[in-house]
Amino acid sequence: MNPQDHERACRLIDAWHVEGIPAPEQEWLDAHLAECTECRAQALTNERALQLLRSVTVRADPALVSVTQARVRLWARQLRERQARLRALWVSCALSWVLGAVTAPLLWQAMSWLGQRFAVSQAIWIALFALCWIVPATLVGAVLVWQHSRAGGVNNNSEVFL
Amino acid sequence: MGNSVCLFMNSMEQETQELARGLRRRDPDLLDELIARYHYRLLRYLWALTGNRETAEDLFQETWMRVLERGHQYSPRWKFETWLFAIARNLTIDVLRRRQPESLDALLCPEGSRAPHELHSADSLIPFESTAAAEQAERMGALLQRLPAEAREVLVLRFQEDLNLDEIAAVTSAPLSTVKSRLYRGLEALRNLLTEKEA
Repeated sequence: MNPQDHERACRLIDAWHVEGIPAPEQEWLDAHLAECTECRAQALTNERALQLLRSVTVRADPALVSVTQARVRLWARQLRERQARLRALWVSCALSWVLGAVTAPLLWQAMSWLGQRFAVSQAIWIALFALCWIVPATLVGAVLVWQHSRAGGVNNNSEVFL
Repeated sequence: MGNSVCLFMNSMEQETQELARGLRRRDPDLLDELIARYHYRLLRYLWALTGNRETAEDLFQETWMRVLERGHQYSPRWKFETWLFAIARNLTIDVLRRRQPESLDALLCPEGSRAPHELHSADSLIPFESTAAAEQAERMGALLQRLPAEAREVLVLRFQEDLNLDEIAAVTSAPLSTVKSRLYRGLEALRNLLTEKEA
């Protein structure tokens, strides 16, 4: 038997475990193993090593399972509550923006009237109007972004690639 | 025969679809069931990754918390365990990197980590089984600890968890060719260690 045969057999023995081998290769390997004690010994060592690897048993403490289940349930409830709060916040923000847009002409007229009534320059009452209209919308936007990052980014430092 | 295979595939597909829906809903009953069903395999994998009981148990809990948070990312085209192991692996690397920012091997084999066999809970097995299993695990644990972490990981995924090569590539975020070469190297190293030990 030449050394190339042994080399091929060794390669096929490992390949059989790792990724499987085609039927003709399998037939050749079986025939070779029937004759070659050296390669048969390697095949047996592989079998034994993997059998040993598969036989390792790990027993989890039942308390670990129940504690984990309890933690997960609690966290699920907190996440659901947080999500409900976030939804309510979105609705109120949307309402505030809609109301802001609808009342903008009225606010403009009110500011204009107040400017004339108290002899305030046009630039100032326009700035006041802009503040009244922009600040609340900006604030609710900031709150939304903050809440959203809290809800979504509990542990953002690693991504799951699947 | 063909029909029964088709029916089986359909029911598997339906099951993963339902699983994905449940995970998106963050259904606590489903999570309870999954924890009960996969606790053994997840703990075994984490233990093989870290070689440390306390770390593996901490990561076990954190993995399930992350499963809850990231449930919407689960895609039914993967088996649940593939996704679960990927989460566990990423979390392990994150946690160990914070503790010890070195190579993957260093990350997965922190100094002072205890031998894997310590995970055996003596009081959870009857005395004879406990002794025999502990002895066998001790032998295997000592052998496994001598393997490079990357090889140990793929060996565990392939031969303990019975994942196929594509699934291992997905879990480890490595190309298929890398997974194969790690497996070949790991198998060779394991065989050499066993032969050396017996000699």
